[in-house]
Amino acid sequence: MAVTNNELEKVIIQSVLEELAKKGLLSNKSKEHVMSGAMLDKPLLSDNSSEEMVTFPSLDEMQISNPFNADAVKAMKKSTPARIGIGRAGARPKTMSWLRFLADHAVAQDAVFLDVSDEFLKQNNLMSVQSAVTNKDEFLTRPDLGRRLSEDAIKTVSDKCEKNIQVQILIVDGLSSSAIEANIPDLLPALMQGLKSSGIKVGAPFFVKYGRVWVQDHVATLVNSDVIVSLIGERPGLGTAESLSAYMIYRPDEKTVEADRTVISNIHKGGIPPAEAGAHLSDVIKQILAAKVSGVKFNQQK
Amino acid sequence: MPETDIQTITSVGIDIGTTTTQLVISRLTIENTASGTFVPHVEITDKEVIHRSQIYFTPLLDRDLINAVAVSKIVETEYLAAGLTPEKIDTGAVIITGETAKKENAKAIIDALAGYAGDFVVATAGANLEGIFAGKGSGAAAFSAQRHQVVINIDVGGGTSNFAMFHEGKAVESTCLNVGGHLIEFEAQGDRITYISEPGKIALSFSGQRLQVGERVTLPQLRPVVKAMAACVVEVLKMTRLSELTRELLMTPPLRLEFPIRKVMISGGVADYVYAAQGPANMSEVTAYGDFGPLLGWELKVCLETAGFVLEKPNETVRATVIGTGTQSVNLSGSTIHLQEKTLPLRNVMVISPFSSTIPDSAQGIAGAIRQEMTRLEINHSEGSVALAMKGPRTMSFANIEILAQGVLLGMKEYLSQNKPLILVIEADCGKVLGQCINANANRPLEMVCIDQLEVENCDYIDIGKPLMGGRVVPVVLKTLVFNR
Repeated sequence: MAVTNNELEKVIIQSVLEELAKKGLLSNKSKEHVMSGAMLDKPLLSDNSSEEMVTFPSLDEMQISNPFNADAVKAMKKSTPARIGIGRAGARPKTMSWLRFLADHAVAQDAVFLDVSDEFLKQNNLMSVQSAVTNKDEFLTRPDLGRRLSEDAIKTVSDKCEKNIQVQILIVDGLSSSAIEANIPDLLPALMQGLKSSGIKVGAPFFVKYGRVWVQDHVATLVNSDVIVSLIGERPGLGTAESLSAYMIYRPDEKTVEADRTVISNIHKGGIPPAEAGAHLSDVIKQILAAKVSGVKFNQQK
Repeated sequence: MPETDIQTITSVGIDIGTTTTQLVISRLTIENTASGTFVPHVEITDKEVIHRSQIYFTPLLDRDLINAVAVSKIVETEYLAAGLTPEKIDTGAVIITGETAKKENAKAIIDALAGYAGDFVVATAGANLEGIFAGKGSGAAAFSAQRHQVVINIDVGGGTSNFAMFHEGKAVESTCLNVGGHLIEFEAQGDRITYISEPGKIALSFSGQRLQVGERVTLPQLRPVVKAMAACVVEVLKMTRLSELTRELLMTPPLRLEFPIRKVMISGGVADYVYAAQGPANMSEVTAYGDFGPLLGWELKVCLETAGFVLEKPNETVRATVIGTGTQSVNLSGSTIHLQEKTLPLRNVMVISPFSSTIPDSAQGIAGAIRQEMTRLEINHSEGSVALAMKGPRTMSFANIEILAQGVLLGMKEYLSQNKPLILVIEADCGKVLGQCINANANRPLEMVCIDQLEVENCDYIDIGKPLMGGRVVPVVLKTLVFNR
């Protein structure tokens, strides 16, 4: 890209400079000066793509220049993933803190805009269907479409999924594909083992692309399950982009409201580890099956 | 989850020391502090002392024998005063401390007391543990966490000085020195020596004083001996090369001094004289309690301040150890665990740690390490249950947890065939899933307790209590029985 553009660049610069000189806006001397710079083969600024990766210092490194009590800063930093004790340069953040902020922001954006890879779905043996959304932009702007399956998906689910089961598990990308790829390989087998060893009838889990939480209500009506579970990527933050939530509901219908859903959030390696979460979820699902109710009413019954 | 979101338990702490015996009863509040959509997180949120006993002189039959009957009478009297019966006590610990712990019959006495004092009261002892309990009771642990400063607590009692260094609320180092206010005994308010203990004799000979039982002493004669003892205490805090006397009197390895220390807190019977405005003026003030505690306290203050240490005032002095024992001896497991309720409580479970630094990567390797440790053990112990303690699986992946489950089942096959319960204590947060994996891999239903988020590295035995908070957590008491070694 650099080579061909370079030639084009030279031609453009040359004609612009000549045009300016013609109009008397540029002396001949300065025209030559600028041209000599433009004619250099190598760009004056190095090419971005050849730059080395930036490595950040570890998070617990002291960034305050002269701390009064360094131990106190360390202890406070340990107690939260928030950006505290990062020092400052005048009124602004230090370069490293600012770069780290930008990098974390980029990770969060990637989590939203990237898709769960086909390879991942294959490895984890997950059938994939799509919500009524057709692309990422529509997914972000039309939450209503993310809450139901596409016509194709309705057909696939109706044809291929086991019906009249106790539990159906959905893996839903939601707002973080990274959360799915990071947690499902350890969470799902633990959850399936927990349910199966209690003799619970579970349908084969499948993946819903461009899905929102409510898509579970639509699926439940198609497969006729007692409990439907969505393992869905949480909206990423600057702390982690890998956090996953589990939404569980007992027999959703047209009267269903948000308070009817039981949710366990913060599943990731820095929160509740995914495998342990799987075992915990299987217990919660067993209790919901026994109580025949979920959400706030379930909590009140316990 | 309203019914189980908060619960209180009653805990007793009994401290039988060289000089005094005390008891406190406290109420611990246990709460789920995680918000609604999070996995439960149960912790102790409040500790309130509801009854403090009188301070009794430890009843002794003779110099080497504690009067067990008299001790149990004290416990009975104090329960009555607090309006409690043994059945109302949920948990707690007896700690036999200082010189007394060395005496041969200590185990028999605490066994007798464990049966007497409530359903879940257990015996704990050991100089290092005593120092840590004292530092927690005195407020040193909380001080280090709140001020983010390293602080060392020295509990100076009748027979020993127990050092515990705290960093961010955690005990990081501890040691024990044979210096206490009761090493030489006197006629109360008099000046005649009635008894000199072994460490007392050592200190006397090092300071060149030839005092004998029956002799009368003057303050100028006694002061250099006490000064020498105080200097030993200060030496432990700052010296890499210790004097011969200090080395003689140290009962455990010295402090490593990995953190610089400036702040010092003194608790124990002698502490009140450390923080007094002036020292004892004559022998009758020194021997007010038939020992030289008041003088030791004063000399310690002088010596510490001369050496540049800053003395912080503790919340508790003479009661620090017993309050620490009563309120701090109970640990809670993690909040997602796997257990059969009918298996609990379990008492005096021996802790074994089959994996040194890293855990083998195959089920066979794990099983091998377990078997080796079990074989080594069976020589001494054929009865009783054991708890397998470990940091966790090789990684937190489900695959590694499965391998660990298979390895444990394979390695414990012989043990399990004797119908003993499988007990696992893990540091990492994976107790529930590991228990589930073991169950799924076992070919028959197992009696199992698989608890997590507990460090049991330095303890020999644990007691696991009945589950609390609707089965979410179990209370665990860690025990170090030094006299068993």
